[in-house]
Amino acid sequence: MTIQSLLRSTVLATTLLAAVAGTASAQAPAAATTALLNQLAPVTDDTLKNPPDGDWLMWRRTYNGWGYSPLDQINKDNVKNLQLAWSWGLSPGGTTQETPLVYNGVMFVQNSTHLIQALNAATGEMLWQYQYRLPDGVSPNGVRTKAIYGDNLIVATRDAHILAINAKTGKLVWDQQVADVKKGWGYSTGPIVANGVIVQGMTGCGNAQPGGCFFTGHDPKTGKELWRINTIARGDTPEGNSWNGIPVEARHGGSAWISGSYDPEQNLIFAGVGQPYPWPAVLNGLLPKNPDPKYTNNALYTDSTLAIDPSSGKLKWHHQYLANDTLDLDYVYERLLIDLPVNGQTRKTVVTSGKLGIVETIDRVNGEWLWHKETVPQNVVSSIDPKTGQKTINPAVIPAVGQTTFNCPADPGGRAWQATSYSPKSRMLYMPTVEFCSNTVLNPVDQGQVYTGGGLATFNRVPVPNSDNNIGQVRAIKMDDKTDAWQYRQRAPITTSTLPTGGGLVFVGTLDRKLLAFDDTTGKLLWTSPTFTNSIESFPVTYTAGGKQYVAVVTNWSSGLGRLKLITPEIALPQHNPHEVYVFALP
Amino acid sequence: MPVESSFQRFRLLACAAWAAIFMTAASAQQEPEFYNDQPYAYGEWNIGRRMDQSEFRYCVDQRDPGWKQDGEIADAIAGALLLQPKRYVTPSEFAVEDLTKIYGILLENCDVYMGFKLIPSGYPPWVAVTRAYYEVGYAFVTGKPGINALADLPAGRPIAATGGTSAHVRLVSYNISLRPEQRWPVFPYGSDQLVLESLAAGTADVGLLWATSFRDMQQQNPAYAGLRIISSSPLPPTNLGVGGLLLKQNTFLRAAVDDAIKALTADGTIAAILNKYKTPQTGKP
Repeated sequence: MTIQSLLRSTVLATTLLAAVAGTASAQAPAAATTALLNQLAPVTDDTLKNPPDGDWLMWRRTYNGWGYSPLDQINKDNVKNLQLAWSWGLSPGGTTQETPLVYNGVMFVQNSTHLIQALNAATGEMLWQYQYRLPDGVSPNGVRTKAIYGDNLIVATRDAHILAINAKTGKLVWDQQVADVKKGWGYSTGPIVANGVIVQGMTGCGNAQPGGCFFTGHDPKTGKELWRINTIARGDTPEGNSWNGIPVEARHGGSAWISGSYDPEQNLIFAGVGQPYPWPAVLNGLLPKNPDPKYTNNALYTDSTLAIDPSSGKLKWHHQYLANDTLDLDYVYERLLIDLPVNGQTRKTVVTSGKLGIVETIDRVNGEWLWHKETVPQNVVSSIDPKTGQKTINPAVIPAVGQTTFNCPADPGGRAWQATSYSPKSRMLYMPTVEFCSNTVLNPVDQGQVYTGGGLATFNRVPVPNSDNNIGQVRAIKMDDKTDAWQYRQRAPITTSTLPTGGGLVFVGTLDRKLLAFDDTTGKLLWTSPTFTNSIESFPVTYTAGGKQYVAVVTNWSSGLGRLKLITPEIALPQHNPHEVYVFALP
Repeated sequence: MPVESSFQRFRLLACAAWAAIFMTAASAQQEPEFYNDQPYAYGEWNIGRRMDQSEFRYCVDQRDPGWKQDGEIADAIAGALLLQPKRYVTPSEFAVEDLTKIYGILLENCDVYMGFKLIPSGYPPWVAVTRAYYEVGYAFVTGKPGINALADLPAGRPIAATGGTSAHVRLVSYNISLRPEQRWPVFPYGSDQLVLESLAAGTADVGLLWATSFRDMQQQNPAYAGLRIISSSPLPPTNLGVGGLLLKQNTFLRAAVDDAIKALTADGTIAAILNKYKTPQTGKP
């Protein structure tokens, strides 16, 4: 038995003992616990469409992906009084990019070890826990989010399973394996439930997995797969022929590693798709261009928004932001559904940005591209067609064998998976960004016969030339006229999503272990937390429990924008990457 | 000299220069979003120091087609060091793994992990590499009559290559240097197995894969019996040394292993093992 197996057995045994002991000792102390859990009513489609203000029931709280909470107990006047209310240690090791969900006073968290826990959201008391056993060989890393539907918490796993766990009892209801982790598949983000269907995106579609990734739809009662749609186009169609004539078995990538948004009015999911793998087009077969005019090398549906009917899995339309992405630029992140004035008309739009940090808006009814706004310094796109959004790429930045290219930005992006948010109160977009460049070189990955997982490019990151050495920013953009409202700059990278609230605040976390609160209209820094145990790379949330507002965030270093610690070497972080939940409230 | 030949020679020189530049310039990190770019082993703080200093603990991986001869070479290294060989066969069935996975394996199970291709500057700073104990090449293979060298493959006919290897990079850089009407489509497959399957299916005319894989798969699958290795001309052969990985702090052991490899090479022990396993050391036809 390996140490890993032994540890897991010990954890399992401890968990089982705890479960038995918990049942036995639950009589008296658990009366309040039982009451707290028993009052969890089934989550319906209507609940998800109109969630209570004090709950955080899905990744970005609401179907429109705004990441906004209307709570206003904590506001500009009193935020300076915020204090630590409680904290909770999560299993160490690996990384987590956690979004705690909160439903009626109960917080649900997923440890990197896939220990799923329900906590009293007011006190931090543990209510139940369920240990999902990852197979040997699967690293214990977190999954960004979960969903709640009916009586169940819906959890995706790193070994490509979807679980339903009873939210009241912590008992497993069903376990659906969707793909084989030994072939590279896995989940790094959880599902969204739309119109009664669990919609889940797959990742891990690198060189072990020909044909790319996919979305699946599942029955929430059983987990049964209802439909599947590939993120790499196939067949003798313009879309299928957009891969330069490469056979499907030699196409890789199109990871669907971020949850989408949902428009109930149209019954459409809007979800992003990542780039082709490996990144350099000279190595993934997209360059040089096939001379046969039948083929293009746009590589659909990579770096696109897909509009998917969650009931049938049918693709209604797509919009590709970046054709033939050769720099790992990932237009995969959150989709914000905002109704915006465009040329005198109110348009129903989808707003997103990729690693280039270029905010782009398309019509969510028909996919028409509307406008863009640049944010961080970038030298990749030299021009954007004002009618179609089609981009002209600076040829000097396209990676080539034997050359070093200079890219601004590069992986992990001018923005990464840390979500941008929108406040309907200020009508501003709040975007966490970083500024840096990279000397990029191609590298082979044939070290060991099976140890070849990698990206075939190396990014040696450096500050932007002539910069003020402030790597991290929070940018506020007025969405009605695309103008900048304010910008906050600091040395340490900003490493969480933004969290705007009805109290006129915007919370963000940083690599140097602090949670900050800004005035949402002026950008004035109103509050800085005490220094945490670790950096904060996650999705902060706010909620109420017992009528009181709390702000929660998970600390850990999580291999996203935190990679920029390479260019902020003065920021030291602890060994073994500890993870904790920190919860703040007013006295 | 004909103008075409001069251009071809120039292209080859340029190709070789590019390959040399990128192989030395590349640093070790590979950072797709879903991999850890720093090593981590589950419960690593509970893994203690090894106490038995009389063993040469080595790892081999059955997914590596060269694992048998690598294991036997490791046994010989142990003998040369007057240590007891202790073999650990990695029990994983994953198709592809991130290099950081070997951190935990080295921490817990072995001092030297055998069977890694030695790419200059191709490893992260937390590992050290031994000297090469043999050299193996990548092989161009085909079942098409009349094609005895890559140069015989007509322009426009597809090549299936295991994607991302040094040989694939060399082929791609040469191909790009050709005029568009002279190029071959190069399809990047995820494994040596898929390359051979594409040849069997007729999707590609020529395959490019690790020669040791080709040896094993041809022996095991009659569908590949008609395939043969051809000359890489006009490209030079792509050969790589194969050695072992250690955690970087094991500098003393690395020096000892290097000395042992040198001695076992000099006395013919390693050559005898390679002959026993019919190891295609250079991928030559």
